[in-house]
Amino acid sequence: MSEEKKYVPFFGCMISVKYPQFEAAVRKTMSKVGMTLVDLDGFTCCPDPIYFKSSDKLTWLTIAARNLCIAEEAGLDITTMCSGCTATLSETRYHLAHDEALKKRVNQRLKKIGKEYKGTVSVRHIVTVLRDDIGIDKVVASVVKPLNGLRVAVHYGCHLLKPSKIMQVDDPDRPTILERLLEAIGAEPVQHDANLLCCGKACMEPDMPAQMTFDILTSIKRTDVDCMGLICPTCFDAYDLGQIKISRQFKTKFDIPIIYYFQLLGLAQGLSPEDVGLNMHKIMPEPLLAKVA
Amino acid sequence: MVEISFDFKEKLDTTIGGEMHSYCFQCGACVGDCPSARYSKRGFNPRRIVLQTIVGMEEVLLEEGSIIWECTNCYNCYERCPQDVRPVEVITAMKNMAAKRETNPEDVRSMVKTVETKGMTTVLTALVDKRRVDLGLKTLKEIPVSDIQELLTEKER
Repeated sequence: MSEEKKYVPFFGCMISVKYPQFEAAVRKTMSKVGMTLVDLDGFTCCPDPIYFKSSDKLTWLTIAARNLCIAEEAGLDITTMCSGCTATLSETRYHLAHDEALKKRVNQRLKKIGKEYKGTVSVRHIVTVLRDDIGIDKVVASVVKPLNGLRVAVHYGCHLLKPSKIMQVDDPDRPTILERLLEAIGAEPVQHDANLLCCGKACMEPDMPAQMTFDILTSIKRTDVDCMGLICPTCFDAYDLGQIKISRQFKTKFDIPIIYYFQLLGLAQGLSPEDVGLNMHKIMPEPLLAKVA
Repeated sequence: MVEISFDFKEKLDTTIGGEMHSYCFQCGACVGDCPSARYSKRGFNPRRIVLQTIVGMEEVLLEEGSIIWECTNCYNCYERCPQDVRPVEVITAMKNMAAKRETNPEDVRSMVKTVETKGMTTVLTALVDKRRVDLGLKTLKEIPVSDIQELLTEKER
């Protein structure tokens, strides 16, 4: 008998509030691969690794450490579903493990709310947990309807992989983790020219991210894929809703469905498109659904 | 005329993430793989930005509309730097300094305010709960915002 592995899910605000279909997809698919999610109360925004970090790094580290404390008190490791949350919580864990003086400053503040950060739990994006702890064979075994012939443009985004020294996920120049997970459900991962280009979302000069997103969508369009597959709600925001804006701005029609990996896994496990909330997307994936039906 | 600040180095040395800036030997490895350098119309260049920190161009770097806000936070420069300068972190340290002066972009300030007052980057509405229920999820619990507010400063409230 294999033991069920337990993790504390940290969905973050983007998924819980804006894209709850991703939360539904994760919850419904993970129960089928032997991962138990133990929900804990009291989490706040991670806080976000772009704007909040740019405002006051010490406060950013402190609020992140408070979130880590909640899992520490339960004695369970955290798994994240958003690359932003992964970045904030992993960076915080790393910095506080390597800088005793900084940890002391953070704990001084945490004392005000009766908490102390010790550094006893790990933080890993759920795809990393799947590959390293659960095992890709379990993903394969959970598939009842392989997505044979489905061509998926892989999009990693920046914060799952970098800084590689801190994230410890994969080679940031030649990552394979998402390809392996897509192959596990029968899909065909497709490379495109701009697959490691940043979407530019954090840049405060609006023309630059628009041009970057346009270039990525153009690069995908050339490959004749059924969808783009990704693992981060912020990237999703840039390409789903963002795709409509880019189509208008550049007077080029794009209709590339953007799908969160766990929604694809759900389809392969026999869940309906509604079960994983595909009906809530801006770019409707009808041709894709016809193909996998 | 460009104003030079002779104590900018020390200020960066004591700001989290800025500590390594003076180790830069200007090799430019950070530039080749920088998406902002490729797409900027104003010549965003992480090597030049770090040089400007060493020279002490505090006012240029921290003023409203500074080019540092064109960084996309992609972390490619962090990966490439042979000196562990971590240009993106040096830039973030300067963004922290700009935030203190309130010369950071209005959009950033309003996003931060949302997190400080709501505990989230996105605001909860009745529609969210309905969507969650439709998907078979529980409605969201209240976020402990008072804890966040307590943690915003070192001082006792």
